[in-house]
Amino acid sequence: MEKDNIIEVKNLHVDIAMTEGTLTPVRGVNFEIKRGETLGLVGESGSGKSLTCKAILGINDKKCKASGQILFNSKESGEMDLLSLNPKGKEIRNVRGKQISMIFQEPMVAFSPMYTIGNQINECTLLHITKDKKKAKEISMEVMRKVGIANVEKRYNQYPHEFSGGMLQRALIAMALVCNPDMLIADEPTTALDVTIQAQILELMKEMQKEFNMAILFITHDLGVVARMCDRVAVMYLGKVVESGDAKTIYANPQHPYTRGLIGSVHKIGGKKEERLFSIEGTVPLAMNLPEACGFYDRCDARIEGLCNKADPELVEIEPGHQIACFNCPHEACKAQRAKAEQMIKEREERETAKAANEPAKSKKKKWGRK
Amino acid sequence: MAKKVKSKDDYYLASQWTLMARKLKKHKLARVSMVILIILYIGAIFADFLAPYSLEEFDPLYRNTAPTAIHTKYDGENVGLFVYKLDKQINKKDFSVTLQEDTSEYYKIKFFVHGSEYKFLGLFKSDLHLFGVEQGSNGGTGAKIMLFGADSLGRDIFSRVLLGSRISLSIPFASAIISFFLGITIGSISGYFGGKVDMVIQRIIEVIGAVPQIPLWMALSAAIPPGVSTIKMYFYMTIILSFINWTGMARVVRGKFLSLKNEDYVMAARLSGVSTWKIIWKHLVPGFMSYLIVNLTLGIPGSIVGETSMSYLGLGIKSPATSWGVLLQEASSVTDVATNPHKLIPIIFVVITVLAYNFLGDGMRDAADPYK
Amino acid sequence: MEEKTKNRFWNGIVEFFKKDLVSYIIKRVLMFIPTLFLISILVFFVIQLPPGDYVTAHIAALASEGEYVDANYAADLRADYGLDLPVYQQYIKWIKDIVWTPTDSAYYRLYHSHHNWKYSFAYGRDVWSVVEERLGLTIGVTAVIMIFQYLVSLPIAVYASTHQYSPGDYITSIIGFLGTAIPNFIFAIILMYLSYKWTGNANVGLFTPEMLQNGIHLYNFGDFLKRMIIPIIVIGTSGTCGIIRSVRAQMLDEVAKQYTLTARAKGVPEHTIIMKYCFRAAINPTVSGLGGVLASLFSGSTVTAMVLNMQIQGPVLFKALQAQDMYLAGAIVMVQAVLVVVGVLISDIALAFLDPRIRYSGGGR
Repeated sequence: MEKDNIIEVKNLHVDIAMTEGTLTPVRGVNFEIKRGETLGLVGESGSGKSLTCKAILGINDKKCKASGQILFNSKESGEMDLLSLNPKGKEIRNVRGKQISMIFQEPMVAFSPMYTIGNQINECTLLHITKDKKKAKEISMEVMRKVGIANVEKRYNQYPHEFSGGMLQRALIAMALVCNPDMLIADEPTTALDVTIQAQILELMKEMQKEFNMAILFITHDLGVVARMCDRVAVMYLGKVVESGDAKTIYANPQHPYTRGLIGSVHKIGGKKEERLFSIEGTVPLAMNLPEACGFYDRCDARIEGLCNKADPELVEIEPGHQIACFNCPHEACKAQRAKAEQMIKEREERETAKAANEPAKSKKKKWGRK
Repeated sequence: MAKKVKSKDDYYLASQWTLMARKLKKHKLARVSMVILIILYIGAIFADFLAPYSLEEFDPLYRNTAPTAIHTKYDGENVGLFVYKLDKQINKKDFSVTLQEDTSEYYKIKFFVHGSEYKFLGLFKSDLHLFGVEQGSNGGTGAKIMLFGADSLGRDIFSRVLLGSRISLSIPFASAIISFFLGITIGSISGYFGGKVDMVIQRIIEVIGAVPQIPLWMALSAAIPPGVSTIKMYFYMTIILSFINWTGMARVVRGKFLSLKNEDYVMAARLSGVSTWKIIWKHLVPGFMSYLIVNLTLGIPGSIVGETSMSYLGLGIKSPATSWGVLLQEASSVTDVATNPHKLIPIIFVVITVLAYNFLGDGMRDAADPYK
Repeated sequence: MEEKTKNRFWNGIVEFFKKDLVSYIIKRVLMFIPTLFLISILVFFVIQLPPGDYVTAHIAALASEGEYVDANYAADLRADYGLDLPVYQQYIKWIKDIVWTPTDSAYYRLYHSHHNWKYSFAYGRDVWSVVEERLGLTIGVTAVIMIFQYLVSLPIAVYASTHQYSPGDYITSIIGFLGTAIPNFIFAIILMYLSYKWTGNANVGLFTPEMLQNGIHLYNFGDFLKRMIIPIIVIGTSGTCGIIRSVRAQMLDEVAKQYTLTARAKGVPEHTIIMKYCFRAAINPTVSGLGGVLASLFSGSTVTAMVLNMQIQGPVLFKALQAQDMYLAGAIVMVQAVLVVVGVLISDIALAFLDPRIRYSGGGR
């Protein structure tokens, strides 16, 4: 793995075995994050963003089986594959909360209602920093102050239901930052909050990133937030990254039809009055028994009949640091991939017609034989 | 591909009941339980026919005898299933009586034999029984087949279990249905009107819930006048058992009502002038019917145990009517059990029925849960 | 330093009273009164249920036994029970009798002693003395069984929920199911039989004849405990299954909650998550179910006590019902119901201490 990368996710799959069949919400995700950088992971609900980030910490449900590689460049123990660790073991627990921490979508349910906020933040301190209770409490309170919680002495002993949503998110951030992690995973941290509070929380996260010099994996479906927060963006659709690159490049020059749709669906201040907002038809399909085709095929306005529904494009680099997975794109790399896929489809069809021609004869024979 | 799409549409368009049935089918234990219950109830319906003897038929010779042994080989020859007649042997020394099989002739077990008369389903007179023994190989008579042995009066326990299952299986069922309607009515009143009505009903439910079940049932049974007819007795027992069970149902209904009554579709119905009762029965109740039925199923085992316990104590069904509880009176002391363990056989039926209802209810609960 | 802790202690007390907790408890205790009233009405209804007139039936029973009955006695009794009064006045009279001792009753004139809660024909004493006699033991036995239930079922429930669908989970649920499916009385007989077969002693009754004479001391306490085994197993298992199932379901709910994920993401070890977070939250509904468990214990012990000949209230209730002695039967049902309601009250208050949400919102459940 490259030296300045803090994490590299390689070909990550997540399978969920259900009675109806196997669900594969994450189907080969690749991305990497550099130290101190913010990567925005964007996609609709159901695209597999949350599962991807939970897989990094190994905190997915028991039913979820993750495979692939998640390489983490730990300051303490060097390079390690987080997926290969026992999800209940000591090593991964030493990563969780200490080197990589996470904040969640709904702060209101992220704390146990049974214990005080202080207790729950302090738990993290006691686990990872010091066993000295007095010192730990000081450290915890210091971080609470840093994230902008006023009157910490009182707040420390209050229960979650006495906090507002915004305050709880601050407390959650404090809990995530208390061990000074190298990387923070933020799973839609502002979705459940008021718009004004959202801005405050985002500001706070930026400040904290500067102060602690950490990488952030920012998961959201809100492109406005991405523009504000992220250095780079990876767009996910149906369990795959379909486009990734520099945030500015992607905003200015989106290449994948899905990304174009996403950006087109955001309201722009100063845009034409009469212009209707663009919307992508349909919903994300269920990731079960997917045919070998581009996942976006059904909803795509640039699909190529006979190609996109018969082969699934890979992520290829079209310019340095900008990758997309699409056949219908004028760039050289995409063209090459398209030619290859067309060739493959042709061969496969030929094989199938040949097979079909043979088969009826065979089955007839069998029937006769049985009689 | 087309097939898959169809199955998906099927899934989304299926009614709540179809989905429940489909999920229930996957629940193995619930399925087995359902089959067992169906068999038990069919057995109760056709009890007269399936039982070789009537409720009161007795043979003093067979008092307290263990299950009749069934043989196949007579004199080294295979003659099919048969039994021997029992014979008294008096010990000349201490005059103690022992029973022995009289092996001088054999009595073949026959199907569709004529025995005591009964009214099938209360409609047609018949004397046909599924199986039984008639004449011996040498023309003798007097052999009996008692698969589960005999009680202290020499009555066939197998027949009595079958005939008793009519009461033991139907009283809990009937009382569940009464509780069902009581619970829906009272619970919906409580939930729909709210306020003071709700407050009073809730307190009443709380109080009835606070009174220990079996003592209350026992105390209520004092209301049954002595010497009432079997049918009246049956009726009283059903009412007594539903006296407590409706409260649980009412609580569920109320809770559902509180959460549903502010839904838009209810508001829409009310605005278009639909009457309150119609809203309750047409719009609200179907929305949580599956929960009610699950609750109903899970309430039945308690009633079965209750009926059995009370009849056992002599506070419920009394002889000559018979339920499983009445049969178990024969096994009321350690000596009974030690000398005649076969008298515990009726308990197997109680346990199986209770377990089957429990598993079925569990399976239905899982099936009714849309999040599973 | 000492001064400081002392201060903290007093501050704690002050803080405590400032909270809504106290008002919650007072509110809860006040709610106890209408509940009591409703219970008394229910019990009175049960007492009135049997067809015919109570005193007539009693006199007839006495006469059939060949006893000479003074006509005045019957009239006195009728007046004493207020049988000629309207029902609501009978009720008031009954309540009066419960609350204080009348000295102008027929019973008093006859026996020159006070009686409470009316007179029990079945025992020839006043009802309260009959109830009181076995009250302590009933509560004691029930408490022991209850403690046993929780000691057994909580660890099993935690195990079953953390090992969902494992063999252990299945085995415990099967045993639990059997515990509920076998009627208590038959289970008791079977165990007695087994005990007789294995040890030569059926262990009937709570006490040996020797204990009844000399009382329970240290030397025969072991014997007493031995005699508690069957009741504990029989009555205990019937409820254990219910507790296991509800705690297990609750635990599974809690395990699925977001905060366990938060805790896991912090690097908290799995067993701490289970015990500190999930179990702590799952215990609340368990505590609130205490009243129901108590009711089911009384219910279960009634029939079992008859089979096992235990010296608790169950057999008394049975005897009262056989003799149509409804005031005694009603009193026992009432005492048990009141005990259950007290249990509910205690569990509600305990819950207020355990659950910070109730503690601070003043019990807005």
